[in-house]
Amino acid sequence: MTTLLGWLAGLGLVAGLVMGFGVAPREVTQGNVQRIMYLHVPAVWVAYLTFTVGFAASIAYLAGRRPGADRLAHAACEVGTVFLGVNIATGAIWGKPTWGTWWTWDARLTSVAVVFVMFLAYLLLRGAIEDHERGARYGAVLSIVAALNIPLVHFSVYWWRTLHQPPSLLKPGSSTMPRVILTALLVNFAAQALLGAYFVARRARLLAAEEEALA
Amino acid sequence: MPDNWTFVAAAYALAALVFGGYWLRLGRMQRELAAARTDREAVRDDRASRSQQPSKTGHPRPEPASRPPLQP
Amino acid sequence: MTYARRALAVAWKDLVVERRSKETLNALLFFSLALLFVFQFALGPDRERLAAVLPGLLWLGFILSGVLGLGRAFLVERENDCWEALQLTPGDKSAIYLGKLAGSLVLMAVVETLVLALFVLFFNVDLGPALPGLALVIGLGTVGIAAVGTLFAAMTTQVRARELLFPVLLLPVLVPVLLGTVKATEALLLREPLAAVAHWLQLLVAADVIYLAIGLLTFDFILEG
Repeated sequence: MTTLLGWLAGLGLVAGLVMGFGVAPREVTQGNVQRIMYLHVPAVWVAYLTFTVGFAASIAYLAGRRPGADRLAHAACEVGTVFLGVNIATGAIWGKPTWGTWWTWDARLTSVAVVFVMFLAYLLLRGAIEDHERGARYGAVLSIVAALNIPLVHFSVYWWRTLHQPPSLLKPGSSTMPRVILTALLVNFAAQALLGAYFVARRARLLAAEEEALA
Repeated sequence: MPDNWTFVAAAYALAALVFGGYWLRLGRMQRELAAARTDREAVRDDRASRSQQPSKTGHPRPEPASRPPLQP
Repeated sequence: MTYARRALAVAWKDLVVERRSKETLNALLFFSLALLFVFQFALGPDRERLAAVLPGLLWLGFILSGVLGLGRAFLVERENDCWEALQLTPGDKSAIYLGKLAGSLVLMAVVETLVLALFVLFFNVDLGPALPGLALVIGLGTVGIAAVGTLFAAMTTQVRARELLFPVLLLPVLVPVLLGTVKATEALLLREPLAAVAHWLQLLVAADVIYLAIGLLTFDFILEG
């Protein structure tokens, strides 16, 4: 099953590259550097998707104490952090030629950076607790706090950057994207989601093997 | 605006490095765990087989080597 | 013993211990004073620059002393081998969370009032009509800091490297509270009406509700034997 996911992810990534470079057109204002978007945007979507999975798994663990739920939560939070790291790094690389700077305290970059640090702290905590069962319990509580904090972070940072105008919606409506670009974006999202699922599945299996080794 | 292909290449290369690196790390963990497991099984099989063999010295008790060491 | 009495018992115990030793209170006050000097020296004598960053400095002071104080929230239990006793408490353990939280809030309120007074003195701030609004913002922010802080303090009690892990865990989570309180304080000090910062207040209230709810619902899992 995991290997199948791996192969599908590989195919998806190839498809994503084809869409991103072959099918999608050269963007009007930014030029070809805009193609970084097909890497940058799906990464954060996949990250937040895995954090949601981690959140649900954490609740399931606290409710039912199934070790499989804890393994899923741990793996999901770890993989999500990896994808978030990719998002931040590619965002900086995209920012340099387009904004002239590697980093700016723009609303999205800042919120993602804060969420990244939150989940890094989660990994730190799990690494620091030796007792496995306690690590699972505490990790579950922390990932619940972190996941529920994500919207708070986003709202606060967004309002922080837009000064005097608190928005009534989630975000101001983004300009409509040409169909082709949207399709390429979605294909890349599907590809990265498959990669994420593959990583989570494999990591969860390894966690099971680790537990067995220590038993 | 110029195309900045170097930045595009850098971004994709970095992503490949991170994802590839994570994938390799998973592979390494898997190998280490598999090695640890075969080691444990080898020790277990070794102990099991030694306790079943007839004693070399004629004693009815099991060989000293197959017994757990005395605690100080 | 009813839930409320158990919570009060924990809070009362902590406050009595603190009143006798004044260990934490004194340390936090001196820490805040030291911070004040550090801020002044780091930023130089330029009056206007200081005035511009004053809200941020105030909340930096509150949060840093909060981290210091909350990190010690379960010190008494840990050092006196009472942690197991907490774990063995019958009934809903969230009463302990509430009691600890209440005790920390009282402590933080004392420290924050004194720090605010020092700020007014040293940086020549005129609070005037902004005071009630400011009190509300400080109250909401402090509840948020203490709500998460108490939960995380319990989590890191038994962990090695707890002094490092606790701030690392707490500070990123508190970013929304920090942003909300600083922006609201800034606006209030510029004599803007409370209505102008309504969205920040709503954010703080939402954060407080979420953090308190999580704390109350999950504290049992933290204190499990």
